[in-house]
Amino acid sequence: MTAIDGAVAAALQLESVRRRRRLVKALGWTSLALAVLWFTANEIGLNPIALAKGRVHMWDFLTRMFPPDLSYIQFLGRATVETVQIAVWGTLLAVVFSIPLSLLAARNTTPLIRIPWFNEHWERLGLHLLVFHTTRMFLNCLRGINELIFALIFVSAVGLGPFAGVLAIALHATGMLAKFCGEEIEGVDRGQVEAMQATGASKMQVILFAVIPQAIPAFISYSIFRFDVSIRSATVLGLVGAGGLGFSLIKTLKLFRYPETATCILVIFLLVWATDWVCSKWRAKII
Amino acid sequence: MADPVQAAQEDVLAALIARKKWRFHHIAFMAVGIAFLAWAADGVDLSPKELADGIPKIAKYFALMIPPKWVFADTVWQPAIETVYIAIWGNVLATLIGLPLGVLAARNITRLAPLRFFAKGTLNLLRSISELIWAIFFVAAVGLGPFPGAVALGMNYAGILGRLYAEAMENIDPGPVEAIQATGAGRIQVILFAIFPQVLPQFVTYMLYWFEVGVRSATVLGMVGAGGIGFELVTTIRLFEFRETAVVLLIILAMVTIIDLASSMIRSRIY
Amino acid sequence: MITLENVSKTYEGVSKIVALRNVSIEVKEGEFLVILGPSGAGKSTLMRCINRLVVPTGGRILLDGREVTSRRRELRAARRDIGMVFQQFNLVKRLSVLMNVLSGRLAYHTFWPSLLYRFDQDDKRIAIECLTRVNMEHKAFQRADTLSGGEQQRVAIARALAQEPKVILADEPVASLDPKIARQVLTYLKQIAGELGITVLCNLHQVEYAREYAERVVGLSQGTVVFDGPSGKLTDDILQQIYYRDPETADDRD
Ligand SMILES: Nc1ncnc2c1ncn2[C@@H]1O[C@H](COP(=O)(O)OP(=O)(O)OP(=O)(O)O)[C@@H](O)[C@H]1O
Ligand SMILES: [Mg+2]
Repeated sequence: MTAIDGAVAAALQLESVRRRRRLVKALGWTSLALAVLWFTANEIGLNPIALAKGRVHMWDFLTRMFPPDLSYIQFLGRATVETVQIAVWGTLLAVVFSIPLSLLAARNTTPLIRIPWFNEHWERLGLHLLVFHTTRMFLNCLRGINELIFALIFVSAVGLGPFAGVLAIALHATGMLAKFCGEEIEGVDRGQVEAMQATGASKMQVILFAVIPQAIPAFISYSIFRFDVSIRSATVLGLVGAGGLGFSLIKTLKLFRYPETATCILVIFLLVWATDWVCSKWRAKII
Repeated sequence: MADPVQAAQEDVLAALIARKKWRFHHIAFMAVGIAFLAWAADGVDLSPKELADGIPKIAKYFALMIPPKWVFADTVWQPAIETVYIAIWGNVLATLIGLPLGVLAARNITRLAPLRFFAKGTLNLLRSISELIWAIFFVAAVGLGPFPGAVALGMNYAGILGRLYAEAMENIDPGPVEAIQATGAGRIQVILFAIFPQVLPQFVTYMLYWFEVGVRSATVLGMVGAGGIGFELVTTIRLFEFRETAVVLLIILAMVTIIDLASSMIRSRIY
Repeated sequence: MITLENVSKTYEGVSKIVALRNVSIEVKEGEFLVILGPSGAGKSTLMRCINRLVVPTGGRILLDGREVTSRRRELRAARRDIGMVFQQFNLVKRLSVLMNVLSGRLAYHTFWPSLLYRFDQDDKRIAIECLTRVNMEHKAFQRADTLSGGEQQRVAIARALAQEPKVILADEPVASLDPKIARQVLTYLKQIAGELGITVLCNLHQVEYAREYAERVVGLSQGTVVFDGPSGKLTDDILQQIYYRDPETADDRD
């Protein structure tokens, strides 16, 4: 029995040592996190008191929005349709652009740059993947810039209207879609690819018959998801004058017609919610 | 000796032939689709002419940005950092609000259907209203500045993250949950000991990913006066200061790239 | 110790499934009882009824003379007295072995200390003793998902033991283990019943193990008890009844 007691005591001892070590580590990380949060909170003037004080204004804002002026819906039909149209074309263009771009942005399908007698150095420097890296970088730029920024720039380049909105959504969504799909293509099952290579198929044939079919379901599924996101983005493009419901929202807000603003928000909510529902059903059907 | 390439090609051919049966169906469907797209294109002023007109204009716009006016970076780096702070706090608030709501919305945790629907509804509401609209609301409440921006981001992302958290919790292995229940543990103990450990890695992944996205979103909050680099961006664009705009854009790109790299590094380390 | 009186369970779903019909069993303290039956006989359902992971649709279950009910506080107390071991081990994979065993102590505490994953020194001592009993103390600080199946099941037994239970329910504890490890796990369970005086109910579908380990066997077939007696009396005839009973005659019987 004493042998067992000894083993238990030893394990308990070890446990307390480990616990202390873990505690120190946890305390360290927690205090670091708290310090960061504290510092950043100060920097951005975050304080609950201001929020609590602001509740008077919030309440005022809310009460002035209620009841929503539902008759305003009749003027929102056009804007709602436009929002959907922007999202449809934005996403469609993105899908079209993404097909070639995602092939360029995957290591296993991108065209390699080869110079016969210079190959080894070329590869060691990664220069044979020049097309791949350039495409990825380009896509990262598209991804990194919010569609609203694009919209703002396009509005000032080509004028107010949904056209700027479509281009903005198309560019940002292309970045997202092509990068995702490029990664999907890189992740295809090697077995099928090798089986096809072993038969002496050309590179193009391998891509067409072994790579693309594997990546298609994910691509479609992600495109549908992107459409859902695009609808949500399209509801705010109007804030910078690029068409859709956001324009009505900002207009009524600037004119202090809050009950109408409330109606806009309501319509936006319903539109986003309905799209979400449709898209999730659609995606479930495809997978 | 079947040649796989040939076999695959034959498969595709066979599939195409099989489809012939549905040809009429398909043509009708496509006609409706094309009509719809044409109508939509008309609605958004999208036409070859418009494109031929617009794209050179956009190209010219970007050409005017060169060379960037680098000294402007002195003015912009501070708002850029503020943007990151907004994203940090936006995501912290999002988790603080979204996690409890997510727990309430998860089918396998909350048995009470009305409570679940209430939580789901709230998450949907938070999610559907874009952070910019929330920002307008909070700016009206507490005045201009990054603070309402962070709260606005928090509201929208609480909806997004809360739903993801709820889905993650609904998809866990129910075995350990039953095992802990069978020991006589209470409801909250079951959540802490059987559910959270299972979903923790996924939660961290979500937080990091949405932090990245949050930084990108926070770059536009300034357009409605909610802090961050968006304000400088709007100002330079409105004043047609192309070369300054270029600097702002490059700084945004640099910031986003650094954060993407950092976050993917952290993500690859959790398992 | 445990009394089941006419326990029935019907699963309501697209179609009604009668999983248990009027099962009555009386189990004495410290007994090692094996419930034997083919797949789908209702063995798991029977066990889950005892700790109310499944709510029976009819009959009563008494633990130590007191009825097990759905009232939250009483149920927690009853579950604390009933340890459970599963076929799939059901350890929380990302927690350490020790933490898994400690989770058997949760019912002794309110949730406040649990909020920080804290336990008393006493809890820890008990947990380590339980691990020692199944010879797993040397892996106490490893993550549960790094263990082999047999080791995981031993940890799961330790978790049940840490509850200081009066009863252990083992639902096919060896079905996913190879024969050697299976015998080892059954030996641990048998030892527990003998040395600690804990009543053990164990579901099995292999007859050899039942013959080898059980003192008493209950044969279950299509939700009814078709045999109840010492393992020595398990004749081929009775096995035939348990495993190949004609569904027609089953319906005639009720
Ligand atoms: N949650 C449930 N809902 C509906 N029917 C169920 C449920 N759980 C079990 N059943 C049904 O009840 C019957 C008995 O199932 P049970 O799991 O108790 O059998 P078992 O003897 O444990 O079988 P096995 O050896 O395969 O584990 C089966 O017909 C099963 O389909
Ligand atoms: Mg079973």
